[in-house]
Amino acid sequence: MSAYKSRLKEFENLIIEDEIDIKKLRKFIHSGIPECAKYRALCWKLLFNYLDPKKKNWESHLERQRNNYNNLIKDLVIPPSCKNVDLSIDHPLSDNVDSTWSTYFRDNETFLLQIDRDVRRLLPDISFFQMPTAYPCKLVVDSETDIRLHRRVAPSVLSSANVERKGLGMKKINLIVKRAPENYEAMQKGQEANWEVVERMLFIYAKLNLGQGYVQGMNEIIGVIYYVFASNEDHAEFAEADCFWCFTNIMSEIRDFFIKTLDETDMGIRGMMNRLVRMLELKDVHVANRLKEQGILPQYYAFRWISLILSQEFDLPDVLRLWDSILADENRFDYLIYVCCAMIILIRDQILENDFEHNVKLLQNFPPMDINYVLNRADQLAESSST
Amino acid sequence: MSKKTYDLLFKLLLIGDSGVGKTCILFRFSDDAFTSTFISTIGIDFKIKTVELRGKKIKLQIWDTAGQERFHTITTSYYRGAMGIMLVYDITNEKSFENIIKWLRNIDEHANEDVERMILGNKCDMTDKRVVSKERGENIAREYGIRFMETSAKANINIEKAFSELAEAILDQTAGKENNDNQERVVVDRKNQEKSPAYSRCCTS
Repeated sequence: MSAYKSRLKEFENLIIEDEIDIKKLRKFIHSGIPECAKYRALCWKLLFNYLDPKKKNWESHLERQRNNYNNLIKDLVIPPSCKNVDLSIDHPLSDNVDSTWSTYFRDNETFLLQIDRDVRRLLPDISFFQMPTAYPCKLVVDSETDIRLHRRVAPSVLSSANVERKGLGMKKINLIVKRAPENYEAMQKGQEANWEVVERMLFIYAKLNLGQGYVQGMNEIIGVIYYVFASNEDHAEFAEADCFWCFTNIMSEIRDFFIKTLDETDMGIRGMMNRLVRMLELKDVHVANRLKEQGILPQYYAFRWISLILSQEFDLPDVLRLWDSILADENRFDYLIYVCCAMIILIRDQILENDFEHNVKLLQNFPPMDINYVLNRADQLAESSST
Repeated sequence: MSKKTYDLLFKLLLIGDSGVGKTCILFRFSDDAFTSTFISTIGIDFKIKTVELRGKKIKLQIWDTAGQERFHTITTSYYRGAMGIMLVYDITNEKSFENIIKWLRNIDEHANEDVERMILGNKCDMTDKRVVSKERGENIAREYGIRFMETSAKANINIEKAFSELAEAILDQTAGKENNDNQERVVVDRKNQEKSPAYSRCCTS
């Protein structure tokens, strides 16, 4: 049997058990998931703690979570006009700050607009997010009234600029203002694009976490998870609900990266960047000094590396492989720091040679590299630290 | 690679609300290309372009910032090192124009007093979606005594011009200083560029 086949066999034996040995699975996944197109979605659900190791609990748990999510859509996404509210006290022009309508307009302003802008520029290198989903949310797409989130923030301005004048007479009246002519166009009734699904998940997340709201970059993280679930036949049907809960779980670990007031704390983004700098000083003092001498702060590159879990630094297939290892690690974010440190060390010769500008460019546009090479280096760093 | 091929180095900063087209403006200027599908900028990005003004080779080091409020603690630390700031709004987005005042206040708080400022009303090719008239842009610029231009990264309108006008204004300023006070030259002194006080200062802030 080839090494690959025996590895696959070992893996299948692990996940066939009624109660999966998560510790063993983590260790195994650290060096990648075999047949990843088939098994990654399942493995990630386990690693996100969304699925219990005991298989007998899966069915009822999934049913409950998917129902819960559906209820969130009903409660938070469906606008007041579609609900039975007492119009004498609650109407769009109500002065009452607690009125469902004033919340509705406030949400549009405070985060929906930003979400809408960002989901329309999600992973533009692949066409996935612009494509329709095979499993649109029935509550939304089949509804008689128009309840799509992006319509709430579409500018509907009739301006004089729409009337073209030439000479004396009015030449052309352009009443319909088309929006987003690019590829991230909304779908017809009965259909919705994958970016619309991501928009809904982020909207619900922001509604449930008002203190934190929506922060740019969350779209990149949820985008990766949703892609993995929705592009897997066996997991696509409930990709939205499952992704939402997995995203919620991972955010509970990394939410501090996204909160400005926690920037200076240990788990805040600056704390993480400082850890990277200290690690680099230990592992490769020459490079660390070089960056310091040139005044290259970790904010210039590692801010994005860490807060987005490297999702913008590599091509998507490599990001997925990288996340396998990071998610599988018991101390995920320690390992993330090792990976970041390995990335810098792997381009050390260039860094030592380059001037300030070339180094900033190099770090902000990390050169294409075999992802396994990066991971191996990170493993070596982690090992040498533990011994 | 470390051989200097320029006479002066100017550090510029692009700020403004999310989605107004800062990254597109910079991309048009540095790579002469346009794409409407840019990912959102997280933290800060960086590009270089060398231009020639009055017989001098000027290297522009341009920092592109994330627009969302959350990133302000990260991005305001760059203000101090900037010699020129481009403040961008989107002529199809009223809010981004209203926020100009807020961004100007940010500049007052965090940037050098003599920083050269310029307001850009971007996306001026989208005439059918315009909600901010050119006049309103001109008025606010006049009120604050700042240069103003409408631009389009997509149709390549005024992009080159905006950068060279800003660079020229900085050049005027540095030339003036050279005559009056030689010590000020340290700001653009080639030897000190890589570790100008601006950068060491933002480590501690």
